[in-house]
Amino acid sequence: MINTILIVDDSTISRKIVKKCLPKDREFNLFEAGDGLAGLEKFKEIKPDLVFLDLTMPVMDGVQALKEIIKVDKDAVVVVQTADVQRKTISNVMDAGAFTLLRKPLSPEAVAEVLRLIEGTGHKKG
Amino acid sequence: MSVAAEQTLSADEQDILQELMNIAFGRASADLAEVIDTYVVLNVPEVRTLKVDDLPEFISTEISEHDIISIVEQSYLGKFKGVALLIFPSGAGRELLNLFGDSNEDYGEDVSMASLEKESLMEVANILIGACVGKVVELLDDEVSFSPPRIIIEDHPRNAIPCEIFEPDSLATVMRTVFQFSERNISGYFFLINSNESFQWLKKALNLFMEQYE
Repeated sequence: MINTILIVDDSTISRKIVKKCLPKDREFNLFEAGDGLAGLEKFKEIKPDLVFLDLTMPVMDGVQALKEIIKVDKDAVVVVQTADVQRKTISNVMDAGAFTLLRKPLSPEAVAEVLRLIEGTGHKKG
Repeated sequence: MSVAAEQTLSADEQDILQELMNIAFGRASADLAEVIDTYVVLNVPEVRTLKVDDLPEFISTEISEHDIISIVEQSYLGKFKGVALLIFPSGAGRELLNLFGDSNEDYGEDVSMASLEKESLMEVANILIGACVGKVVELLDDEVSFSPPRIIIEDHPRNAIPCEIFEPDSLATVMRTVFQFSERNISGYFFLINSNESFQWLKKALNLFMEQYE
């Protein structure tokens, strides 16, 4: 069951969109970070059940942050949310250990589906 | 370069526009990557409001490491109205031509290399500008048309950067991003310079966009 979610995105608006797309009938402990490095530090601190991770960010980009998070916890569940939907980007993030990639802007339906997939697997990584 | 607060976007509106630009340029890059065999490395876009008089200096500063550039300029017309500039450093046309296919391909005696390089720049601009502006406008629930593009090849920035885009005393909302073609020594600079005429519509459209998430 997903309780703790970390949202890593340099855009406050984008973080707000993620929060608004989460199911209204459930409660989550939500944490936020504004760049990849801050996201990595927050990940180590709170060990979230799920990370929503943007790719194009200052300080440390999302692909690097993803790799570092997976080094910390190989079972981390990271959903990359990005506007960059080039094939190479998708293969890069999946190879780096992302659970899946969602196209920006997110929709409540896409988020509900990915939560169902994660929780339906019965274990962390799909 | 300071401008009156009431004539600028709020921090939230600026953030929304930056995020829309991020989404739109990401889609545009994916479209381009389907056409040419390269990976487009994206950077964080930036949004700011400037006086039109200050635009040439701002753009010159952004591209200051390049002595010779090529520019594709194209106007977009609708409620979202302005000018898109795609700027490449010298030599980019030849590199892009290679990306479009066999550099040894025989295009015929009548076709000069300069003409082919120009066509390459135009094609890249056509994809990036069309897809990016189109996506921003789609997200804001409107549509635009485009004027024919204008291209300036291999010139000094002081000659190539357009100085008379809008009324001199007006303001412009400038969206800017820098990108690189992976494994090629090419950086590109992409500017959307939105006319002050569409400012009030833009503010309203940005807030309407966010209302769906309220």
